[in-house]
Amino acid sequence: MRDRRRCIAMRLRRVRRLTASLAVSGLLFGTAACGSGSGSARADDPNTLEVWTRSDPESAKTYDRVFAAFTEKTGIKVDFQPVMNFDQQLQSRASVKDLPDVMINDTALMGSYQAQGLLKAVTPASISGHAEITAKSWSSTVGLDGKHYGIPYSRQAMTLFVRKDWREKLGLPQPRTWQDTLALAKAFATRDPDGDGKKDTYGMVVPGSAQNGYVAWWGASYLWQGGVQILRKQGSGYRPAMDSAAAVRTVTWMKKNLFCGDNGVIQPSALTSVTANTTNFQDGNAGMYLTGPYNISTFDKALGKDKYEVLPAPSGPAGNNDVLADGENIYFGARTGKAKQEQALAAFLVSPEGQELAMTGDHQPVVRIPVNSTLDAAKVRHDSRWSVVQKAYETASVQFPNAPDFAPVKQDTADALNAIFTYCGSDVRAGLKELNDTLAGDLKDQELLK
Amino acid sequence: MTATATTPGPRRARIIGKKAVLPWLFLAPGLLLALVFKFLPMGKGVWLSFFEVRPFLGDKWVGLDNYTRVLTDHRFQDAIGHTLLLGVGMSLGGIVVGSALALLLEGQARSLKIIRTAVFLPVVTATAVVGEMWRLMYYPTSDGLINSGLGLLGLGPVPYLDNPDTALWATMAMGIWMLAPYNMVIILAGLAGVDRSLYEAAAMDGVSLRQRLRHITLPAIRPALGIVLTLAAIRGLRVFTEVYVLTGGGPAGSTDVWMTRAYTLGFTRNDIGGASAASVVLLCVTLLLTVTVNYLRKRGDVR
Repeated sequence: MRDRRRCIAMRLRRVRRLTASLAVSGLLFGTAACGSGSGSARADDPNTLEVWTRSDPESAKTYDRVFAAFTEKTGIKVDFQPVMNFDQQLQSRASVKDLPDVMINDTALMGSYQAQGLLKAVTPASISGHAEITAKSWSSTVGLDGKHYGIPYSRQAMTLFVRKDWREKLGLPQPRTWQDTLALAKAFATRDPDGDGKKDTYGMVVPGSAQNGYVAWWGASYLWQGGVQILRKQGSGYRPAMDSAAAVRTVTWMKKNLFCGDNGVIQPSALTSVTANTTNFQDGNAGMYLTGPYNISTFDKALGKDKYEVLPAPSGPAGNNDVLADGENIYFGARTGKAKQEQALAAFLVSPEGQELAMTGDHQPVVRIPVNSTLDAAKVRHDSRWSVVQKAYETASVQFPNAPDFAPVKQDTADALNAIFTYCGSDVRAGLKELNDTLAGDLKDQELLK
Repeated sequence: MTATATTPGPRRARIIGKKAVLPWLFLAPGLLLALVFKFLPMGKGVWLSFFEVRPFLGDKWVGLDNYTRVLTDHRFQDAIGHTLLLGVGMSLGGIVVGSALALLLEGQARSLKIIRTAVFLPVVTATAVVGEMWRLMYYPTSDGLINSGLGLLGLGPVPYLDNPDTALWATMAMGIWMLAPYNMVIILAGLAGVDRSLYEAAAMDGVSLRQRLRHITLPAIRPALGIVLTLAAIRGLRVFTEVYVLTGGGPAGSTDVWMTRAYTLGFTRNDIGGASAASVVLLCVTLLLTVTVNYLRKRGDVR
């Protein structure tokens, strides 16, 4: 009888969640797509944690292994939900104030989540093994109020993937500067590196669409190498800095040489491409790709290990080769009342055992660079290419600011860059000035403009 | 119900009561589903549009601020233009091509049935798949299907989706390709109702093809066209998946439509209040347009 009552209560809860999901997206879509947002029986059990990750089925299999090991070790069950359209589903669940207990998602979203009050503050000392996480990683989980709102889980930094066989065939060196990169890209586009007698290869791959902010994500590394900051920290707030001389110089260089220069330096349709449909590198018709190391397994399968090399990003005019670093944090959903179990899960996930499990296996690994400083990515994977990525993260990486809500800043930057790169005759300085004003508006909305 | 009151005896009243209740019983599941999945979310959406939505910190009443913000945002204003252009272009294009297909493929022959089925396929294919397919067809080098065709004529290649001047038209062409077969089926149904003897009489009178179309076919399929127009008015404005998959609103926002902006606002920028306001505006415009089209249709029928 009690089971029956619980069952009815659960059904009602599901309906309530579903209704709420639809409420948020209902007007947008008439009927919204509703994926795995509804909970399962185990979610009500105090010894069961509902855990969400933004994962496709492939990486979900790796998480399955990790959580199975956790349950075996601690007896705490995990109701694991890999969610593809994470942001949409999370907003739906937030609207009924029923969040998952634990979420694993992008670092750069922390400010946004915190601004909406979705997260519980975390005391690092409450997580066993917290000292094994570096200060650099911990610093990326500090919110505007100085408290931590996440636990670092996985980190990564962009590196340059280059078709080694093409480069060697053309007798060109590994690129070390922007000029080298450009020369190599032009050679890949014009000197028939695949030897089929056709002009069907491109220099580099660019996911340049403004959709979901992609061009800002990809272009950020170039901005930093050009000495640009998108936002500048000022006292307790921020100021937009996209109208600086360095920004004008850098964006002009990108526009002139990559987007509006010789045909073939970047792949066709770059301006409407997102990573999912930017497959030219793995398809074998583009020679370079500045991107995250999560692609390594895909490229190994599609091209073969021997065909390409993983290099640190070439240096820009500011003299550095800084690249965008991002990663994922473990977040605790607000008001769930399962603190002990959540802390136990976080401790396991950041422990050497948890991190190694998530870095290996037959499926897509979900930890790229371990946050646990006792581990070496290259050693765990027996693959020296990962040391390039780890070094890039440790010594030459910048993260998007995580304390403010960076989502609108990234989207506005992407909109502006995409427009500047689309209209080759446009005035870069005026475009960036307009962007700067928009970013000031975003900061003002968040009461962070100084 | 006065009849019930004046009828003596409880038996009759019960029967009428039953009769009145029965249709509602049949309707109940559908109504309940519509209530839970459509009208309640819709109501909640209207409600949220007056708030700055912060589920855990408490929603903040902002009155009409979200509406003002959305309506004064120049990107939304641009999106209105694109939506209208795309909506009207796709609707009219879909009707013209759909009618042409219907006239061409009307008849009983078995081969026509097969062709009609083949022509109908775009309607049953998922929009996302169609979008990906057209991305490949529009590929801006001579490898792309359309550009390789142009290459044979010594033209191109044309960067259909990457040029802000052509991206919206390219999206429209795909939309027409998807819509036309749907319209074709409705118009075919209308054509089936045309009195054949009228054609015979017209033929005997030596009436030209154009006159036949204008004076016999068109009046006969007017109800069907009315339905197609109403559907097109609704669908044209809420266009989303086509654009989202094909161009993501780019390049430089040149294909941004009302829905893609609302989506970006809601799910990329996490501004649920603003996205709700944008959606409510769209709902109102769609309602207005539907009512107007229906009114004009009814007025036309009366005439």
